[in-house]
Amino acid sequence: MTSTTFFGLCAAALVGLGCYGLIVNAQLLRKLLAFNLIGHGVFLVCAIIAHRGAADGLGGDPVPQALLITAIVVAFAASALAVALILRLFEETGSASLTRSDGLAKSDTAEQEH
Amino acid sequence: MTTPTTGGGLLLVLTVLLPVVGVLLGLVVGGRHAQRVALVTLLLGLAIAVALTGQLMHSGEAVVYVLGGWSPPLGVALRADGISIVMILAVAVVVAFIAIYACGNFGTPAGVREARRPVMFWLLLLAITGSLNLVFVSGDVFTLYVALELLTFAAVPLVSLDGRAETLQAALRYLLYALLGSMLYLLGIFLLYGAYGTLDIALLAQRIQPETLAWAAAALMTAGLLAKTALFPLHLWLPPAHAGAPAAASAVLSALVIKGAWFLVVRLWFDVFAGVVAPRSMQLLAAMGAAAILIGNVVALQQARLKLLIAYSTVAQIGYLFLMFPLAAGLNAAQLDSAAAVSGGMLQAISHATAKAAMFMAAGLIYVTLGHDRVADLRGVGRALPMTLVAFALGGASLIGLPPSGGFFAKWLLLSAALASMQWWWVAVMIAGGLLTSAYVFMVVVRALQPAEPDWKPRTRVPRYQQGVVLALAVCSFLLGVVAWCPDVTRIGRPGLSVVEAR
Amino acid sequence: MIPSAYRSACLLALAFGVPLSLLLACASRRLRRWMPALFVLAPIPALMAALCADSGSMLQIGNDTLALTFTLDEPGAMLLGVAALLWSACGIYAARDLRERADVDGFIVCWLMTLTGCIGVFLAADVIGFYFLLATLSVGASGLVLQGKGPDAHRASAVYLGLTLLAEGFLLVALILLVQATPDGSVLIRDAAAALSTSAWRDVTLMLLLTGLGIKAALVPLHFWMPLAYDAAPIPAAAVMSGAVVKASVIAMVRLLPFDAALPDCGFPLAAIGMCGALYGVVIGITQLRPTVVLAYSSVSQMGFVVAVIGMGLAAGDDTTPMTAAFYGAHHLLVKGSLFLAVGVLMRTGHRCLWPMLIPAAVIALGLGGLPLTGGALTKYAAKDLLGNGLANSVATASSVATTLLMLHFLHRLRENIAKDVQARAPSVLVWSWLAMALASLAVPWMLYLTVPIDTLSAALAPSALWSALWPVLAGVVLAIVLHRLRQYLPRVPAGDFGMAFGHMQGMCVAAAKAASRADAFLRRWLVATIALLLVALMFGWAAVNY
Repeated sequence: MTSTTFFGLCAAALVGLGCYGLIVNAQLLRKLLAFNLIGHGVFLVCAIIAHRGAADGLGGDPVPQALLITAIVVAFAASALAVALILRLFEETGSASLTRSDGLAKSDTAEQEH
Repeated sequence: MTTPTTGGGLLLVLTVLLPVVGVLLGLVVGGRHAQRVALVTLLLGLAIAVALTGQLMHSGEAVVYVLGGWSPPLGVALRADGISIVMILAVAVVVAFIAIYACGNFGTPAGVREARRPVMFWLLLLAITGSLNLVFVSGDVFTLYVALELLTFAAVPLVSLDGRAETLQAALRYLLYALLGSMLYLLGIFLLYGAYGTLDIALLAQRIQPETLAWAAAALMTAGLLAKTALFPLHLWLPPAHAGAPAAASAVLSALVIKGAWFLVVRLWFDVFAGVVAPRSMQLLAAMGAAAILIGNVVALQQARLKLLIAYSTVAQIGYLFLMFPLAAGLNAAQLDSAAAVSGGMLQAISHATAKAAMFMAAGLIYVTLGHDRVADLRGVGRALPMTLVAFALGGASLIGLPPSGGFFAKWLLLSAALASMQWWWVAVMIAGGLLTSAYVFMVVVRALQPAEPDWKPRTRVPRYQQGVVLALAVCSFLLGVVAWCPDVTRIGRPGLSVVEAR
Repeated sequence: MIPSAYRSACLLALAFGVPLSLLLACASRRLRRWMPALFVLAPIPALMAALCADSGSMLQIGNDTLALTFTLDEPGAMLLGVAALLWSACGIYAARDLRERADVDGFIVCWLMTLTGCIGVFLAADVIGFYFLLATLSVGASGLVLQGKGPDAHRASAVYLGLTLLAEGFLLVALILLVQATPDGSVLIRDAAAALSTSAWRDVTLMLLLTGLGIKAALVPLHFWMPLAYDAAPIPAAAVMSGAVVKASVIAMVRLLPFDAALPDCGFPLAAIGMCGALYGVVIGITQLRPTVVLAYSSVSQMGFVVAVIGMGLAAGDDTTPMTAAFYGAHHLLVKGSLFLAVGVLMRTGHRCLWPMLIPAAVIALGLGGLPLTGGALTKYAAKDLLGNGLANSVATASSVATTLLMLHFLHRLRENIAKDVQARAPSVLVWSWLAMALASLAVPWMLYLTVPIDTLSAALAPSALWSALWPVLAGVVLAIVLHRLRQYLPRVPAGDFGMAFGHMQGMCVAAAKAASRADAFLRRWLVATIALLLVALMFGWAAVNY
């Protein structure tokens, strides 16, 4: 097994674990961590592409590395925004989970109008 | 193939740079000046959009700007063809109207130096404008990713601007779902780069081959973008987000932010993946659109709150935007001119943007006047807010597809394309959608026209200029059909279409 | 001298422009108060255009790419002229009626909207303008129905609007197919109609066109909106709707259908449906008690007859059909409008002044059945060429008998519905407008017959023509006497007959809507939505594979 295949499988495992965590966990912070796991998996894919695409004399293709750095920064900003919102939600309600499964408050539930 | 910067290319940079500079300036000056900075910036942005349109029509080809003079694949190019510039102009106009409307709701109160809600609204409005413009002018897929993320980060706080718990929940739902979509899109980008060694859209279109990597990338990117566009059944975040946000924010979110992700799907499918994916994927896309139209409208009919009704109407109208894909593909396959389907889709997007913005702003005024927005208790609105009700009716008429509105001409073009390419089933879907839409529009208007109780008074007086702005935008949307008199700008710069004569 | 083309274009512009500007002026509250007084004057430019504008003159607003075009052909001029008369008379009636209403704004706006749409539809020469003005007409008319005072007004208006929008859906697809069939994509109606008979999509287009226009013309089985709407609407609104609004579908059929080539497999079924409707309308009409509902079923019957005439013309490829159908429609317009006004007047008249009101009503009502020397006899005489000598002619004669029967039933119900107070008199303005319309419906068909001209005077006054018009009326009178004896054996049928059965479908629709809501709530759960996203990615991956 080459290093590319090994890291590829790692990336797949990370994305899989992250998706599982994002879907199943009710607490928002855990969803955020799961999103970060998915992000790491995807970034690992980018790094593998950098390694595969390296020309002679270079350790890795520089373009994917630049993409990687940008994407990490974007994911970081996303996490920061999410954490800020989760903190605010916790201050407002005392809990940091997604409550009603469909996201509409009780007063909004549709009544049959005829 | 290196394309040099064309005349007017600097305008492309300005459309993105100006709102960003506005945000930074607004952050620095803060307080009540943020509103003034925002208004000036949006006005300048409108002027630039008009100048860009003039440049496009004058030169007759796409406007290109190569950043730093380094051409692709190493450098980044900004490229705006007909469909981009039409969207830039539409966004500039709609945001200008929304900004004037929002002066009434988001003014800093007297005696206070700085208030969180108004400052944040104006800065986020500018940020959304800038990121939307970046989506429209980007020439490579990674800049599009950055633009898309900017758009999401600017839109999410608008949802929870009021700070109530359910809006925070809605914002978090939106953010997390959109981030999942982004990750899928990003994975697609990396696969494309890994296979073809370039990110530039024009170069990718040349190098792409029908192989597994390309299909996987197409599937991942499309799925991610559909999550951000809230196409049925991926629409979980839209109703609570758009209904919970303040009226001006809902108008921006529903009318414009959605169109950013949709535009990306158009750009990718028509420019990058055009010859590579099988036609049945287009049918799948439109099938989801058809489900959105039918189920979205039926659920909208049953809503008890006006803002939720309009939000579900958005879910349905997004479906129309995706009908243009198989129609354009079908016309191409039948050796006919497919520009009509593309024009129809663009006109549908613009007319929906204007009409939905007007409807959400009208709903905001109704809420302020009545103190609630229950659909069953709308009586008295007709007397208290006549201009607003007319605006709602005109916006609804555009959604239903009554002439001379933009919605009618868009429907005409799409129906012609469907009939010419023998895809009868989309015809039935569009007609059924129009009927269902008319049901709830008439329901709201008739209920609002009923006289109120004799001793009822409006809760708050709404300033006349707000009503005037809403009516003006609704009249724009109702008369948008007159663009049929203008030359078809959407053809300019589209490869392979410039040679065919218009109808 | 002003060149006549320019003069005609000005007349057309005024005909459409005056009601439109009145409608737009309603935005101001002060001007709105003056509108009822202007109801009588608003259609006058249209009348002038119908009388003075040259046939075939055109008014075009716009450039070559897209233009709104108005034109006046002969059938259109005939219908426009009589419609303008009806609108004026009903305008006088409505203005007087509005003094007794509390909330007049809605009525004023809807009246002007319907008037603008009506005149526009008769003048429209391009497909898009026609569709737009038809939509304006329908929305305005449903608004007028909503102005009725009864509890059924909401339901009647909803049914009317729903069916009319459904009809316009069919019509839109048909119009697009028509435009696609024209050689250069022209949107003019006359180009579209010329290209239709040789189009590749001819059968589909005809079917869609006839379904859409048939719903608007109250062809059985989609006619049930008519009794509900005409019963619920205020009297002047019902008069104008049964007279002018429903003729929009007649003028559309006459302009869009191809009469240059014989199309028997389309024309004969259409004629059959029309004749069934003509008889069905009478059968249900005689079971009804309210005079407005009886008149509505009479309209169903008469519109069925007009459609049958058009169908026979289509089958034979006869190009005199437009004039004949328009003539028949014009007479029906005048008579039906007058009879609705008669209902309104007689509802306020007591026994003392009954007979001066009832006699004119009786004369024109029997004219609908074909009483000799009335307009009805003329129109039936003009239509007999198209109907031929076979089955269609016999059914047409049966229809005359049936119509006479129905009209006598109507007169009886009219008499039963007069004011309780013996001394009551209707306001004189109402009475004069009604009598003016009655006179017009007697005189105008003769004027049209002689001046257009349809046929010669001697042919119409020949003894054979007079007898063939008289004996169905006598047979109808006999049947009416029989019916009067047996009337307690008639079943009670609700207005709107089997359309009420659709009300039971409401339960099914509600269940389907609830299911859609539940599906939506299910799909919006986080678990389901995220799994759906991943599934969508997989599905696109499968769908994109393209070897």
